[in-house]
Amino acid sequence: MSKVELHHIWKIFGPNPQYVMETLEKSASRADVLSQTGHVLAVRDVSLAVGEGEIFVVMGLSGSGKSTLVRCLSRLIEPTAGKVLINGEDVTAMDEGALRELRRHKVSMVFQRFGLFPHRRILDNVAYGLEVQGVETAVRRAKAEQVLQLVGLDGWENHFPHELSGGMQQRVGLARALAVDPEIMLCDEPFSALDPLIRRDMQNELLHLQQTLHKTIIFITHDFLEALKLGDRIAIMKDGEVVQLGTPEEIVARPVNDYVREFTRDVPRAKVLTAAAVMNPANRATAEQSVAGETTLEALIPRVLSYDGLLAVVDDSGAVIGSLDRRTVLLALAEG
Amino acid sequence: MGQLAQRIDGLGQKRGGKRPFLPLILFIVGIIVLLLLARAVSATDTFSETWNLGLREVLNEFKRWVVVNRNDHWLFVFFFEPLSAIIDFGLRRVEDLLLWLPWPVVVVGTFWLGERIGGLRLGLLTAVCLIPMGLAGLWAESMQTLSLMVTAVLFALALGIPVGIWTARSPRAEQLLRPVLDAMQTMPAFVYLIPVLLFFGVARVPSIIATIIYALPPIIRLTNLGIRTVPADAIEAAEAFGATERQLLRGVQLPLAMPTIMVGVNQTIMMALSIVVIAALIGAGGLGDVVLKSLRRLQVGAALEAGLAIVFMAVLLDRLSAALTHLERNSQPRFKGFRFFSEKQRHITLVRRIEAGIEAIYQACGRYANWVSGQLERVFKAGRVGQWVRRYPNGMALLFTLLLVSILMRLLGLGDFPRALRLDIRGPVDALVQWMQVNLYDIGGSGIGTGPLRDFLIISVFQPLQRFLAEQLPWTVVAFVFAFMAHMAGGWRLSLSVLSLTVLMGLLGMWPFAMDTLAQTLVAVVICVAIGIPLGIWSAHNDRVEQFIRPILDFLQTIPIFVYLVPVIMLFGTGSVAGLIASVLYSAVPVIRLTNAGIRSVDETLRESATAFGSTQRQMLTKLEIPLAFPSIMLGINQTIMMVLAMVIIAGLVGATGLGLEVYQGFANDNLGRSVEAGLAIVLLAIVIDRITQKLAEKTAVSANITL
Repeated sequence: MSKVELHHIWKIFGPNPQYVMETLEKSASRADVLSQTGHVLAVRDVSLAVGEGEIFVVMGLSGSGKSTLVRCLSRLIEPTAGKVLINGEDVTAMDEGALRELRRHKVSMVFQRFGLFPHRRILDNVAYGLEVQGVETAVRRAKAEQVLQLVGLDGWENHFPHELSGGMQQRVGLARALAVDPEIMLCDEPFSALDPLIRRDMQNELLHLQQTLHKTIIFITHDFLEALKLGDRIAIMKDGEVVQLGTPEEIVARPVNDYVREFTRDVPRAKVLTAAAVMNPANRATAEQSVAGETTLEALIPRVLSYDGLLAVVDDSGAVIGSLDRRTVLLALAEG
Repeated sequence: MGQLAQRIDGLGQKRGGKRPFLPLILFIVGIIVLLLLARAVSATDTFSETWNLGLREVLNEFKRWVVVNRNDHWLFVFFFEPLSAIIDFGLRRVEDLLLWLPWPVVVVGTFWLGERIGGLRLGLLTAVCLIPMGLAGLWAESMQTLSLMVTAVLFALALGIPVGIWTARSPRAEQLLRPVLDAMQTMPAFVYLIPVLLFFGVARVPSIIATIIYALPPIIRLTNLGIRTVPADAIEAAEAFGATERQLLRGVQLPLAMPTIMVGVNQTIMMALSIVVIAALIGAGGLGDVVLKSLRRLQVGAALEAGLAIVFMAVLLDRLSAALTHLERNSQPRFKGFRFFSEKQRHITLVRRIEAGIEAIYQACGRYANWVSGQLERVFKAGRVGQWVRRYPNGMALLFTLLLVSILMRLLGLGDFPRALRLDIRGPVDALVQWMQVNLYDIGGSGIGTGPLRDFLIISVFQPLQRFLAEQLPWTVVAFVFAFMAHMAGGWRLSLSVLSLTVLMGLLGMWPFAMDTLAQTLVAVVICVAIGIPLGIWSAHNDRVEQFIRPILDFLQTIPIFVYLVPVIMLFGTGSVAGLIASVLYSAVPVIRLTNAGIRSVDETLRESATAFGSTQRQMLTKLEIPLAFPSIMLGINQTIMMVLAMVIIAGLVGATGLGLEVYQGFANDNLGRSVEAGLAIVLLAIVIDRITQKLAEKTAVSANITL
């Protein structure tokens, strides 16, 4: 069972979204809806499933509806139509109390502009989620200190947010989300407001944390490279729709349209693409030499340079899943 | 660049407007027709006395009914009486406490409060403000006024903050309340006293109720504003973590709105102070009472003493509550090198020595507080007090010490302000007044002096203008002028409502008095504008002038309206002229401020381009700065007019004729109906003038493409 499932989520902004939803022609474009009804079609019929422990990235440019979509998950924004399941429970049917419990214990959030409370010290910012749960002071402070240590901010407990740098502030945001020990973390472009170097540090930190924490993370970004780096799977959104969903190498290897291809252009393909992504799956003949499916092209290049024949691609169990040769690798690198 | 061009376009259009002469022609034709009509039909000339709503009789009848039924009607038994009882209870407790506390304890307590909020300088300032009240022999009266203030402000906050929160969360509540608050802020303070008289009679409780109501609007508005402007991301974060409405309000919205709410508290306090003093008219007691009684007996010295005590109290309360608005949040205390002097003076040896001395005193106090709180902790181990001691060791130590000292001083009979420390201001001032009356009245028989000036103003300005407006000019023409201006400013709807309000003023039987008040207002406004605009322009062009007049303007705005009358009477005696001079002093401030601000806010790039085209200073002023600053200046004029009106009304207390005097004489002669009629007429006049001038300011702003 998937951890999070979205079924046909729609979100329409405007004075009477329900009416527009009912009368909408399902094929109408965003611009049509705006000009005909004055309503903004933010999310159009999105269905997807996120597995437990997965980092699922939603990637899109501004206005693509990605932030709206992720807010529909915990109903910070009420979806106009569709269903959200978390652990198989229907979130869209929850009453206010159940929803609050969900937000308090299961789903926490990291924000682009950090969303820290300027009037609270760092420690009390991190302890906020526990505070609203009603956890007593000593316990929640101890937990907050522990989490601050985890993100490398011990010693800053008694400062106020404005006294910290941007990167540090986002660590606080991360710590605040982790302090409630959630099953699911929603990250709304958490690193977009940071300098490039700090951003890279934070990305590594997140991956590092994830190795021990194994949260289900839904991560939003407009940066394709960030998506490739962090995502187990990526959904690319445009005009409120998911245009492609797949693993980073699937997307880089086989972009569904020009829009996606445009993103993949700057990608260092050798580092992203794997043998499994570029192989010819139809030809499963056994060969003298074989490579593992997850080998990146970067590692594959010396092999094909020194060997002229066909290479078998094998999966974890050793079964042959396809084949490739020098030509396949060169073509894959040249595309895009 | 596009915006720039647009703004310049906007200015051009205003000049070039379509058919500019048509309204003027209509205006002149209308007046001529009405003047001719007045000759033919006398009803359109003087407002007939038979056209009267007869409100006075109804109201007096109602008052008699109240007097008869006060003891047994349910409305009084179950509503007004319990309400009175609660307020009275609160007031008595506060007053008992403040009067029981020995004066040094009050001074030290105030110092501590100021020091905590705004550092040593503020602490000293607030403490020093208290001393003159004792020196003038007015300690008890000052504490009475302070008790009235504390009680009224606490009730106002307890009522206003929840209402502000409510309006911030419910758009409908806000829609409902906004016009009410608008109207409340238009009314002069005086008017608030009238309705409470009906239900509560004369005493201290009604004065507190009037004060609460008068002081409510700012706290409601600013609480609302504060909560509405809490950053959306903070709210979203709280919601994402599953905060309840209550948790959101208490943990996020209120704390973040606090600086704005504190601005509201400051304004509420200042408004309360201004009316608490006037409320002496209906028996509030305290300093206001001293001023009022002394003015009636023409003891200017005594009035000035009490007036100064009020000014000191105003400064104290204003600076203390204003400091609350910029409390900062920092983990480390800000740099605390020098507590009293500025860091710039570090190179002076004496300054360094004094600072070292201050530091030593602080250290000693700290050690003492530590010791006391240690002892206290030992005595009150568990329980509430123990907890407080642990949480606020210094505060509790001080509180305990002050309590001990208070009890000791009271037992020794030492708590009252010593008579030996009496500074006689009254004597010299009375002597000075006498000297001025003899010597300045007509300096050397030259025809120059306060006496001739006063006579000139009354005989050559007020009386002719008043006669012109009330007697010579048909009432229809006055109403037409109002309606016409309203039409120009805000269209037909405003014009109609202004017209009907104007007629209503006549129907209340207050036409001649209203015209008298209008005449005084016009004269004062003309003088204010004639002084204020040049002064504003000058200070906008000269930083040194601005630095010089800014603290003076701040100070003038701190003083409660009533106090202005005292020094003026020293020079001009009682009557309309004193009112006029006081009005000018009191009301010129906004027009100076907003002219200055308007011109200073003119875009630097526009100035540059004007210079690039070779404008002279004068062309810059007339073609660029004044047109662009015009909406701001209009707003200043609007505020000035409203303040003049308030002052002209208050001046009724010292014999200025017009609506103010009518209200006041209604109080004095137990003719409540007359007071109410005059009060309503004041409100109508205020609304008419306010709406017209405000709309005019908005309209000029729109046509010049400027947001106010």
